Amino acid sequence: MTYNSQSMVELVKVSKVYPPDIMALQDISLSVKRGEMIFLTGMSGAGKTTLLKLICSLETSDKGLVEVAGHDLNRIKPVVLQRLRQKIGVAYQDFRLLPLQSVYQNIAMAMEVSYLPPATIRKRVESLLEQLGIADKRDKLAGKISRGEQQRVAIARAATNAPTLLLADEPTGNLDATITKLVVGLLESLNQAGTTMIIATHDQSIYRQTNHRVINLEHGRFTEPPMEP
Amino acid sequence: MRFFPYILKQTGRNLRKTWGTQVMTLLTVSLSVLIFSFFFLIHTNILKAGARLGDELRLIVYLDDEVVPAMQEQLKKRITDFNEVENIVFVSRQEAFARLANNLDQDRDVLQDMSPTFLPPSIEIFPKKNLKTLTTIKRFSDYLITLPGAQKVQYGQEWVERFGYFNSLLRIVVLLSAGLLVISTVFMVSYTIRLTLFTRHEELELLRLLGATNTYIQGPLLLEGLLQGLMGASLGLLSLFLLFSWIKLRFSGPGFLNLFDFSFFPPATTCTILMTGIILCSLGSLISIRKFLRV
Repeated sequence: MTYNSQSMVELVKVSKVYPPDIMALQDISLSVKRGEMIFLTGMSGAGKTTLLKLICSLETSDKGLVEVAGHDLNRIKPVVLQRLRQKIGVAYQDFRLLPLQSVYQNIAMAMEVSYLPPATIRKRVESLLEQLGIADKRDKLAGKISRGEQQRVAIARAATNAPTLLLADEPTGNLDATITKLVVGLLESLNQAGTTMIIATHDQSIYRQTNHRVINLEHGRFTEPPMEP
Repeated sequence: MRFFPYILKQTGRNLRKTWGTQVMTLLTVSLSVLIFSFFFLIHTNILKAGARLGDELRLIVYLDDEVVPAMQEQLKKRITDFNEVENIVFVSRQEAFARLANNLDQDRDVLQDMSPTFLPPSIEIFPKKNLKTLTTIKRFSDYLITLPGAQKVQYGQEWVERFGYFNSLLRIVVLLSAGLLVISTVFMVSYTIRLTLFTRHEELELLRLLGATNTYIQGPLLLEGLLQGLMGASLGLLSLFLLFSWIKLRFSGPGFLNLFDFSFFPPATTCTILMTGIILCSLGSLISIRKFLRV
């Protein structure tokens, strides 16, 4: 049992191979403390997205241990996983929005699965739309807005249900400098409120000026062992 | 308590998204319920009519000679050992003559030259008034002819047998239509839910990633099947009631139908058909969920 109550994410010697023999991650070990914010950097194909997918249980590791909030994801019961997922916000690189549903519905569904009162959902979603500068897109279909706006909807959905862990895959990939600031501001405020953050990014502008840990991946390995914060 | 509004909201969205198929399924379920309940209604009314006609039913065993009181008890025992009966009456030659004279009323003169003992003595057996009696009467009659001194057994053989055949045929039709009901409702609802699953495939995948529980995902689909059953069965029964009312109105007055006292299903039977529709459609829904939805 490697669980440490201070730790939100524990990876111990984790490997992932995609068929036929693409080694996405090799013997990765990482510990992320509760309330910490870390940046995963690296070239395309370095394994950043795979690492995030393992942490949100979208993929399973071939070797090693993946623990989130003390739960071994390779052995977790479906009911526990469902509850855990409600507390993990994920902003996917491909957004995973429902194009035929409105922006509001796309964001609200993350809270609806927790059966929260409609008034609470409305207040929270509208506040996020305001913070991310897309309040005027509230009732537009998600498939009919620009990629930059879709990206913000994806971030809003990840942030909406007060997650204890937020995973963001290239959250500023389609945004200009002004909007990037808005998004980073939102992520920072969530982190200050106690949310653990793992952000995979190419965008140096969002981590260059920070004191948060930056971990670089290359060919499925960390270029240097990740330091404890 | 917030669980139900979400389930209802989601079910409403599913129904709106696939409304064309939903309408087709609803019509199929209604038609199946209508066909089944139509034949079942005829069947139950025929059974009732049969039971009523059975009130008049009696078997007459003509005997060679009068039965002495000691022997009467023995015969009674042998008869009741074989079948349940309501009453057994021993009719002597004189009593038979008196009845005939009574029946002839003003024409009783024709009996003037006849001996009051020319009619054979008999036993009149009034069986229990139920359908079983009608269907087993032939066997009972075959048994009665074996009684000591029995010469001939008489009852309304012809109509009882015809009634029996008709009843058997009707029972087969009811069973076939019940089979049709089961197959069509389960298959159609299962197909519709499958279509909903394909339509919402992306959304369901996302809901899983957001941590939706099995109940959250499966609830609306089950409710969809349940509503199909409720609405389809209600529509089918309502159509049958309208058809029944029209026939009753159209064919009221003297005629063949007045031989039978046609009546609609009692509330308990109506509820049972309704519940069966709901259960079958929910089953169809459940089959699709189990087969195509990985939660």
